[in-house]
Amino acid sequence: MSRRSLRRTLTGIWWLTLLFLYLPLAVVALFSFNAANSAASFTGFSLRWYERLMGNEEILSAFANSMILAIVSSVVALGIGCFIGYGMYRHRHRKLGWLIVLIYLPIVLPDIVFGISEMAFFVQIHRLTGFLQPGLGTMIIAHVTFQIPFVALIVYSRFVGLDPALFEAAKDLYASPAKRALHFMLPTIKPALISAFFLSFTLSVDDFVISFFTAGPESATLPIYIWGAIKKGVSPEINAVATLMLAAVAIVAIASLLFSRRRPV
Amino acid sequence: MVRESRHLLMTVAPGASWIVFFLVLPSAYLMSVAFMSSGTYGLPEMPLSLESFRRLAGFGFLGWSPGNLYTLLRSLWQTLVATGLVVAIAYPIAYHISTCRARWRPIMLLAVVVPSWTNQVIRTFGWMNLLAPGTPLSSVAEALGLVAPNMGLYPSNFAVTLGLVYNFLPFMVLPLYAAFEKLDTAQVEAAQDLYASPLRAFRHAVFPQTLPGLLAGIVLVAIPAFGMYVIPELLGGGKGMMLGNLVANQFAGSANWPLGAAGAILMLIATFIGLFAMRRIGKRLGGGEEVVI
Amino acid sequence: MTMHKTTLALSLGGLLLAGSVHAQENKLYLFNWTEYMDPEIIEDFEAQYDVEVVQNYFNSLPEMFAKLNAGGVSQYDIIVPSNYYVPRLIETGLVQKLDKSKLENLDNVMEQFRDPSYDPDAEYSAPYQWGTTAMVYNTETFPDAPKSWSLMFDPEVNPEHPFALMGDGQVSMGAACAYLGHGYDCTDPEAWKEAARLIIDTKGRDTFSGFTDGTPALQQLARGVTHVGMSYNGDYLFFKDEDPETFESLDFMIPDEGAEMWVDAMLIPSEAPNPDMAHKFIDFILDAQVGARLSNYNYYASPNAAAEPYLDDVLTQPPVQPSDADMQRLRFTPSLQGEALQTFQQLWSEVQSR
Repeated sequence: MSRRSLRRTLTGIWWLTLLFLYLPLAVVALFSFNAANSAASFTGFSLRWYERLMGNEEILSAFANSMILAIVSSVVALGIGCFIGYGMYRHRHRKLGWLIVLIYLPIVLPDIVFGISEMAFFVQIHRLTGFLQPGLGTMIIAHVTFQIPFVALIVYSRFVGLDPALFEAAKDLYASPAKRALHFMLPTIKPALISAFFLSFTLSVDDFVISFFTAGPESATLPIYIWGAIKKGVSPEINAVATLMLAAVAIVAIASLLFSRRRPV
Repeated sequence: MVRESRHLLMTVAPGASWIVFFLVLPSAYLMSVAFMSSGTYGLPEMPLSLESFRRLAGFGFLGWSPGNLYTLLRSLWQTLVATGLVVAIAYPIAYHISTCRARWRPIMLLAVVVPSWTNQVIRTFGWMNLLAPGTPLSSVAEALGLVAPNMGLYPSNFAVTLGLVYNFLPFMVLPLYAAFEKLDTAQVEAAQDLYASPLRAFRHAVFPQTLPGLLAGIVLVAIPAFGMYVIPELLGGGKGMMLGNLVANQFAGSANWPLGAAGAILMLIATFIGLFAMRRIGKRLGGGEEVVI
Repeated sequence: MTMHKTTLALSLGGLLLAGSVHAQENKLYLFNWTEYMDPEIIEDFEAQYDVEVVQNYFNSLPEMFAKLNAGGVSQYDIIVPSNYYVPRLIETGLVQKLDKSKLENLDNVMEQFRDPSYDPDAEYSAPYQWGTTAMVYNTETFPDAPKSWSLMFDPEVNPEHPFALMGDGQVSMGAACAYLGHGYDCTDPEAWKEAARLIIDTKGRDTFSGFTDGTPALQQLARGVTHVGMSYNGDYLFFKDEDPETFESLDFMIPDEGAEMWVDAMLIPSEAPNPDMAHKFIDFILDAQVGARLSNYNYYASPNAAAEPYLDDVLTQPPVQPSDADMQRLRFTPSLQGEALQTFQQLWSEVQSR
């Protein structure tokens, strides 16, 4: 195979893959404007499914829950995670095998085992103490648990990439550890913190299984609502909700593209 | 030294204890449930018993039945096929991206990753729409005699495989791309001079260099695919049950917590065996270099 | 130190925020089947008692039971299960006795629902609606459909059209039992085994589309995904009213081999946060006018004798009120306990995993 034909084949595969990746999403978006209740034929443009969404309190509260869950859990995970990340860096010459295992555990544990463990445990704790009733609180706890490792690893790798001499300089410059943290460390790891926050946020929004098993009566998130709607079989409205979520993702994607263009990393 | 230890404790303790309290303890509790007996309505009860493992192996008071074994084999098979397909697609794609102009690469990577920013449930729902009976894809499949008349491509085991490939493709492209980007071109050129056929050049110069990325990708794809719950539930239509569904059903449907917990243990064992095997393979093939996941 | 404090404050703040969501008083948590409640009734109840009703839904009874076990027992005020799940709810202590002194409208309940077999003396439950679960099929695909479950179970009667069984194992097994001539309410282990084998074989057919719960089964039929399915008479009429064009070609049929009749009842979980309001809600539903509105909305038969004068005509004829001949063939789903339940669960999980 010549260089050129290889190139052409690869380009072909690339576009086919893109089609594969975006076709299902495009179909969801397209059929959200379908006049008929059908997944097979598009009979005409209509906004009727969006009209049905308007003022649907359940969807609004599911959206609010998704946002509260993602933001609060990401903030908490960011706080806890960057301490671990720093600790891991500062003490990287010690034997920290147990810590590494602990940090990788939430990453490698299958979602379903993760979710069910927490559900069973929370139910038991609730029965014994009255705390940890299933709801947003338990969901936040669960999400923080799977976000911490990612934050820690990102922050850790940022510290590793720094010149150790910088730390010495900072030590001379600022007397107290608090000032050092505030004026030196926070600014230097800011890019890492931002990307850790966005990753945590994405992980939270993307999660379904763990949320599903730790949720309570009032804490349904958008994915849980959509899951319920799929199980109930009302298809066109789900198309509309899903399309709104896709639009949000598209906006974020474009924004991140512009952001990274302006400041090449 | 004492100060250093205190420092370590202060930075690491909050997070470590969070994970211990909210993940290690819960998992340990779930493990212990597997060794309890199941009450009439499926909740764990004393005394301790190995009954749930017997049930998991297929022994009930109806004698042995192969259902759970089928489920396990189906999970393994689906994982194997899906991972294989993901590698087959991701490998050329990652290579292709790495050979494009530098300013296009971030955009191309983003294009691959963006679909995974949407929720898993929505992504899977898209395929439900696309593969339902009467849709163009299903009609073509029907005309070719691939599916029974009036049936769609969904629900089926094929739809589950497709859903898995779709869901996990980005997880393979990213680490492979990272490997291709670091590719030592001098080595590749030397190999091209050395070996007559491009295939051999690839095998000796390119492939070993991308192996760490490939292994990382396999770990990222195979482990969650093996424990998948959402995709078989939505696309399998009752025929494509996987281990994740077997476990979840014991908590969300026909209740039997100890049996579900035993299933979870089986899943964990399989996961850790997989991780361990990948590490060993990575170490041997990568010339002692450790593969970081 | 600032960072310690900020983190601490943020995490505490987050947890408090999350916790406070549950601390609010004067709410009523209703855990009900999907598409089973007139929104206006809820609005009226909210206005009358100045309370907010939070609704959660389930699609099947196993799902409801699992949710109660996973903490729901202290989070819902009212649940609406079917007859055959009531005994196991009572036996596991998941529900509390009704305080009949708080239920003035209890006298409205029809005679035959006052001492039901699933809850002697109706100590725990008050009836909500009753109906039947049987077959819905496409009359264009099957113009001469036999009045029989063979439309699903016999590949010669239905060789090439997709169909779905019901997700609730007891109902699907009952249908298979009925088809095999053991009656819908069979409990004999040998009959069950035969039924399980039949379903496993049925699953192996190319045209088997899956296990679907009753309400989504109708959506699948409407969209042509399946041509035969199992669903409820009232939901069928409800959707027919919403989309008469599509449902023109769909018909509800009670097979001659027998099918299910059920009663859904309102119960209060044993650790319900607001049992007082729960009693008020039950009493509200048992009101003659409200009961009639509920049935008129749902298209299900009302167990409320006092509601009769206010019921729409459609509620007095088949399929809501089955013909006498059909009525003879309808059975309650058996309420399983102890070893029988274990046997059934094992058989059903085998069916699911094959």
